[in-house]
Amino acid sequence: MTDQPILEIQDLHKYFGHLHVLKGVTLTVRRGEVIVIIGPSGSGKSTLLRCINHLEKIERGSIKVGGQLMGYREIGGRLVELRDAEVAERRRAVGMVFQQFNLFPHLTALENITVGPIHVLGKKADEAAVQALDLLNLVGLVEKADAYPAMLSGGQQQRVAIARALAMNPQVMLFDEPTSALDPEMITEVLDVMLNLSKQGMTMLVVTHEMGFARAAADRIIFMDDGRLIEEAPPDRFFSAPQYERTRLFLSRILH
Amino acid sequence: MPGWDWGAFHRYLSNRFLLEGVWTTIWLSVVCMAIGLVLGFVAALMNMSRIPLLKGIAQFYIWLIRGTPLLVQLIIIYTGLPQVGIRLNVLQSALLGLSVNEGAYLSEIIRAGILSVHRGQFDAARALGMTYPTMMRVIIMPQAARVIIPPLGNNFNGLLKTTSITSVISMEELLRRSQMLIQFEFRVLEIFAVAALYYLALTTLWGLVQRRLEAHFGKSMVALAPRDAAPQEARAGGTRTVALQDKTARGALYEQDLR
Repeated sequence: MTDQPILEIQDLHKYFGHLHVLKGVTLTVRRGEVIVIIGPSGSGKSTLLRCINHLEKIERGSIKVGGQLMGYREIGGRLVELRDAEVAERRRAVGMVFQQFNLFPHLTALENITVGPIHVLGKKADEAAVQALDLLNLVGLVEKADAYPAMLSGGQQQRVAIARALAMNPQVMLFDEPTSALDPEMITEVLDVMLNLSKQGMTMLVVTHEMGFARAAADRIIFMDDGRLIEEAPPDRFFSAPQYERTRLFLSRILH
Repeated sequence: MPGWDWGAFHRYLSNRFLLEGVWTTIWLSVVCMAIGLVLGFVAALMNMSRIPLLKGIAQFYIWLIRGTPLLVQLIIIYTGLPQVGIRLNVLQSALLGLSVNEGAYLSEIIRAGILSVHRGQFDAARALGMTYPTMMRVIIMPQAARVIIPPLGNNFNGLLKTTSITSVISMEELLRRSQMLIQFEFRVLEIFAVAALYYLALTTLWGLVQRRLEAHFGKSMVALAPRDAAPQEARAGGTRTVALQDKTARGALYEQDLR
């Protein structure tokens, strides 16, 4: 069932005070699809991701993950925000990887990965640890299981962060500029893990400036500017024949 | 005119009447600290709430209590409230006054501790599907504790001595017992010297406890992590990279400490 929509965003609007950040975003993502979102800073890419798992409230429109409204319930045609525990439960379907990693500094790599399954899903500690070691193996960091985040390089921290998100068995993974805070020599190790993940059929939304990754992994590339989705196309068409002037201008800037 | 009497001084050091006062001072401090911590935690969370009413109540509480002297608060509670039909005995008044007062100060310490935790930690906990209570308990408070514990210990040191103010509403803690003893014995300097010595002993002992507490809460934190995990590093990789990584880790720690 690859054409089943896993994520449906309808006419999404987001304001920060008077600032209109997202101006009517509509996007459907099917199971197993990898979407790469590019665009100038301030275009609303990160905000879009943060709305998808309800780290930000939305002012208009709707977001559905796996057919369920994210963060809200519909009562008489109006959206009412869910209670804390209900929002938390729906967030489990969505994994998120942050630009600044945001690993928990007081927990070891292994504990960072098990903390969600234990305290959110109610798994037993030993069961969670077995799964965490599998995930550490997947991201190539089994030997760092007992290391604290402060001892890991940026690339290693980000790989642990990916494993942490995967431990919740999410239906969709969101990557918010996952390599932007990394030294150049560490970018590849993180992108390799992400590429692997995409090959295994994970549904992914990736905000990134890594065009090599976009070419290799994306089913669709979306160009976003000023709170709107301007253009979307498969990678080959997107790079060879962008339709809009704004897209061309942006591409010429980042590809030199 | 009687001079300093060493014999009397030594007798008062082990005076049962005074020691009972010391004990009252100790448990009064501990109980009020405990209640104050609960009040302070609730007030801190309310103060950081997005709900204006909760925020307003917390801010009014903190403003009112920190803006008026404890002495005045105690007198109002003990001698003022009966006028409107609220009669609290000495013990109830002392507990209420000290706890409410302590809670206001602790709430600001707790709030500062929570605010010291990086925004991204909240996002990451939320993104994992944690509820607010789970996030606070498992992710935020353990990190905030490192910032909270030192000033918290400071406050307890203060509280040990502040309990003496309840002597004005005749709470029989160390100072009040000293005053009472003086009325029988007339040895003002010796008895107050003993009282002062007891306070000094209490705060000194607490200082030792506090140091252990700080070490304990620091241990599970980032600060001591490299030392614990360093041998493992050595086993895992080549010596060269290990040395390099250790250096960067310590650099990161240093920045952490500066923060």
